[in-house]
Amino acid sequence: MHILDTEGLTRRFPTVTALDQLTVTAGPGVTGLVGANGAGKSTLIKILLGLLPPTAGGARVLGLDVTTRGAEIRRLVGYMPEHDCLPPDVSATELVVHLARMSGLPRTAARERAADVLRHVGLAEERYRAVGGYSTGMKQRVKLAQALVHDPKLILLDEPTNGLDPRGRDEMLTLIRRIGTEFGISVLVTSHLLGELERVCDHVIVIDAGRLLRSSAIGEFTQATQSVTVEVDEGTGPLAERLTGLGHAVTPHGRLLLVKATGPETFDAIRDAAADLGLCLIRLERGRHRIEDVFREEVESVV
Amino acid sequence: MSSEIYDIGYRHYDGPRLGPGHSTRALAVHSLRGVFGLGRTARSKIMPFSLAAVMLLPAIVSIAMMAMMGRRGMPYSGFAVFMQPVLAIFLASQAPTVVAPDLRFRVLPLYLSRPVTITQYVGAKVAAMTAAMSLLVAAPVTLIYVGELVIDLDGPPQTKEYLGALVTGLLLSLLLSSVGLAIASLTPRRGLGVASVIAVYLLSSASVPIVYSTLASTGNDAGARWAWLLNPFWLVDAVQVWLFGTTPNAEGEYPAGPYCGLVVVALIAVGLAALALRYRKAASR
Repeated sequence: MHILDTEGLTRRFPTVTALDQLTVTAGPGVTGLVGANGAGKSTLIKILLGLLPPTAGGARVLGLDVTTRGAEIRRLVGYMPEHDCLPPDVSATELVVHLARMSGLPRTAARERAADVLRHVGLAEERYRAVGGYSTGMKQRVKLAQALVHDPKLILLDEPTNGLDPRGRDEMLTLIRRIGTEFGISVLVTSHLLGELERVCDHVIVIDAGRLLRSSAIGEFTQATQSVTVEVDEGTGPLAERLTGLGHAVTPHGRLLLVKATGPETFDAIRDAAADLGLCLIRLERGRHRIEDVFREEVESVV
Repeated sequence: MSSEIYDIGYRHYDGPRLGPGHSTRALAVHSLRGVFGLGRTARSKIMPFSLAAVMLLPAIVSIAMMAMMGRRGMPYSGFAVFMQPVLAIFLASQAPTVVAPDLRFRVLPLYLSRPVTITQYVGAKVAAMTAAMSLLVAAPVTLIYVGELVIDLDGPPQTKEYLGALVTGLLLSLLLSSVGLAIASLTPRRGLGVASVIAVYLLSSASVPIVYSTLASTGNDAGARWAWLLNPFWLVDAVQVWLFGTTPNAEGEYPAGPYCGLVVVALIAVGLAALALRYRKAASR
């Protein structure tokens, strides 16, 4: 079953075309939506929420058409905006309870759910204090909590790691992964940083200037490459010479050597060469594609 | 320690999900509490509650007059007109708290990404402000009525006048709220909203004597009557005169009742339409 699917989806604004003939599907789990700023990510989210009508084409979320059944979609979906959206003078608890009621939860259920999700996103005692005094990380957690409070089938997270320090970013990504796996809620998460989606997504959609560049499972992005990374303590030069002499393709990469692997014998050759030269072998690692590399290649091939 | 908090499993919600009526009501109650600063800091309660207290003072004086001198103080029909500066200050100071924060802090998308429409949102906000304003009018008027019943003056109690004042108060509140909120919603800044609403009220009431005397001095008495309608309080009083046959609270007469009623309805419609347009624009950002 598709969590969302679009068919020739186009949205034009007076001066720009935000989405151009986008046809894409996403299944359950965590889906990353990657694109530079202005690639059309936020426009796509607004269309998926049924808040912005498409100029042409169509889209469905959880099997519901966005143009005709927007209200039903908004009942089943949670949304975390990119920008600040929290009034400073109310507490996190009060805000999340109120928004749960806006989603149709009765008063007692809203209170219970709000306490639950605030705990899940990691807000403890501070949830009774006014949001105005919160750090960026805590505000992001409140924004995530309000998107989860009505137990949606799908949540749309627009740049959830924006403005977070590395540690906050890590915690947010871990949380997103948990939501997609343990909580059993499908996630569509946007980012302009590709590296961070690698960790949490099952599937990645790459868009640029409103057009689909690529949509595939994360494994296809990060499959093993042909190169082996070698790190030795000292004597990088002699090792490179020895390996080149044995007929291997070697590229120096800072303190590392990248050796093109032709088969298991390459690894043997590296090991033997290091032993012969009496070098201290620190690392021997199979290279993997990073989605950044894939993205760069795709953009280059398009341009 | 945080890992302990995390280790409680996620529970799904399979209870009832109520319809749009429930969320609209919840939003209206939430906004009404906001008008009086309930659930907010102590500072945000000062203004609404002190103004509400000021509204009760004439009621207490009226009751004292009935009890000690055996005669009525202020007529029910004149209460809102007499207290208009207090009501106007209340409107100016509290209308921005109903609309400004959601615009300023961009909370609106959190509502609109839920099953809440712009119509429901605006409806709930207007309902909340109307309820707050009519509470402000109804509480002292009711106090006077209860006082009248307890003191038991000569002659029958003025039940019809009392009920008329309540209905008129509701109409006045609806008019003030829809126009006041529309003005306040034009700016996301609270202070500016307060200033705009009070400025519009001052302009409307200051223009009454100017227009009236200008027209009266040229002998155009029929035209001069229309000047009263520039101020919302006299406008609604004119409707009260028409609907309940009370004596006008202005010097001189009002234009024919149906026209006044029409003006009130038109102004409310303009206020609501402006609000709807304002939020449609805010939502598309």
